[in-house]
Amino acid sequence: MDLSMSVELVNLGKKYNHKGLFQGINAVIKAGQCLGITGSNGSGKTTLLKLIAGIEQPSEGYVYMKGNRGDLRREERVGSIGMVSPQIAFYDAMTGIENIMFFCSCSLRRCSIKDAQEGCMRVGLDGYSDDLVSTYSTGMKQRLKLAIMLVFQPTLWLLDEPSSNLDAVGKKIVGNSIKSALQDGATVIVATNECWELGYASEHIILGECSVDSI
Amino acid sequence: MPVNILSLANAVWILFKKDLLCEFRTGYAIGTLLMFALLILSSISMTFSGISLSAELTANLLWMIIFFCSMAGLGRAFLEEQETGTLFTLSIYFRPQAIVLGKMLYNIALLIGLTCLIVPLFMIFLHVDFQLWRELFAVLLLGDIGIGAVSTLMAAMLGGAQGKHSLFTVLTLPIILPQFLSAIHATMTILSGNVPTIQEIAYMLGYDSIMILAGYMLYSFICCE
Repeated sequence: MDLSMSVELVNLGKKYNHKGLFQGINAVIKAGQCLGITGSNGSGKTTLLKLIAGIEQPSEGYVYMKGNRGDLRREERVGSIGMVSPQIAFYDAMTGIENIMFFCSCSLRRCSIKDAQEGCMRVGLDGYSDDLVSTYSTGMKQRLKLAIMLVFQPTLWLLDEPSSNLDAVGKKIVGNSIKSALQDGATVIVATNECWELGYASEHIILGECSVDSI
Repeated sequence: MPVNILSLANAVWILFKKDLLCEFRTGYAIGTLLMFALLILSSISMTFSGISLSAELTANLLWMIIFFCSMAGLGRAFLEEQETGTLFTLSIYFRPQAIVLGKMLYNIALLIGLTCLIVPLFMIFLHVDFQLWRELFAVLLLGDIGIGAVSTLMAAMLGGAQGKHSLFTVLTLPIILPQFLSAIHATMTILSGNVPTIQEIAYMLGYDSIMILAGYMLYSFICCE
């Protein structure tokens, strides 16, 4: 696994049914830095994160990812990327711990019960870690997404509205997680309209009405 | 062994275990498959009670039961992941090849388990006697692998389509047909007391290999838009 990763967006654009969502996005984000993506609803923040994750293909431009050993191909990126997004869903028939262990055991990684329990504890789910996810509230599921990131320790953190549905304590956990990820040299990309979350970013992309400015 | 292959094998095994655990706790697919199998078997046994069946008809009936049971339950593995949104999460944390191979392994295992249940019941209900067990086992195994692999691939391709549940059977049948007909012919040969030719077995093995390889190579294109 690569220990550090830099992401380069080159003239990136996305169209749906010939209608441009955004275009001409250029940015370079290095290890230990945070990129903030903001914009109105429907401006393409989530789509931009999906393009970076490699789940969707751009209509134009490229996403380059460089690790310790050079450019990473799409299949090589798996195992280095972690994501918190409203679209992330869990297996209701499995417990919180089982979900963490399952998603963190991809590739050749091993995740022990102890690691998973520690992850649950760090996000305040320690009393519920052995409960089925079907009994979790929306906020608890959001915390579980963060727990996976903390256990998985990806080199690229993709955060899509990471504090949505969270209470004040949960928001503090998000802030601390971003800070600790940056200290550990991870690359963080956060798509949000919350000013305090954008405060961690050293560079910003503002999306909206097909006009893109990189500040 | 290269790290890539080891990591893929590990991911496939983890996905397979996860599917088994979820199925064990919910019992959706197994329940559907079992009920469907028992329903068809009892209907057929009532229809043909007291009638001596030819080898051709017996082989056709056996494979039709296996095929329609698989259509009732195997599509779920992918379509449900799509509907609940867990496929999105899987695509973040797992390689596309691991996802499709894990699902194939689960579907094939499920179908083999179901076949192990159907065959003895089929023999009891329809008074069929198989003599060449080794050959029958090979044909059933190869047929199940083919049906499991194609069903998984088709369910993956139909993930984003509207009316995917009804389209699943309609689109799977033409693709599975070559393997289906080979399996029927080989089973018919076994029921007649003869051994299927090596060419027949090689054809079925080739078909299975191509379908598994197609899933491995195509799924990364299917899952990405």
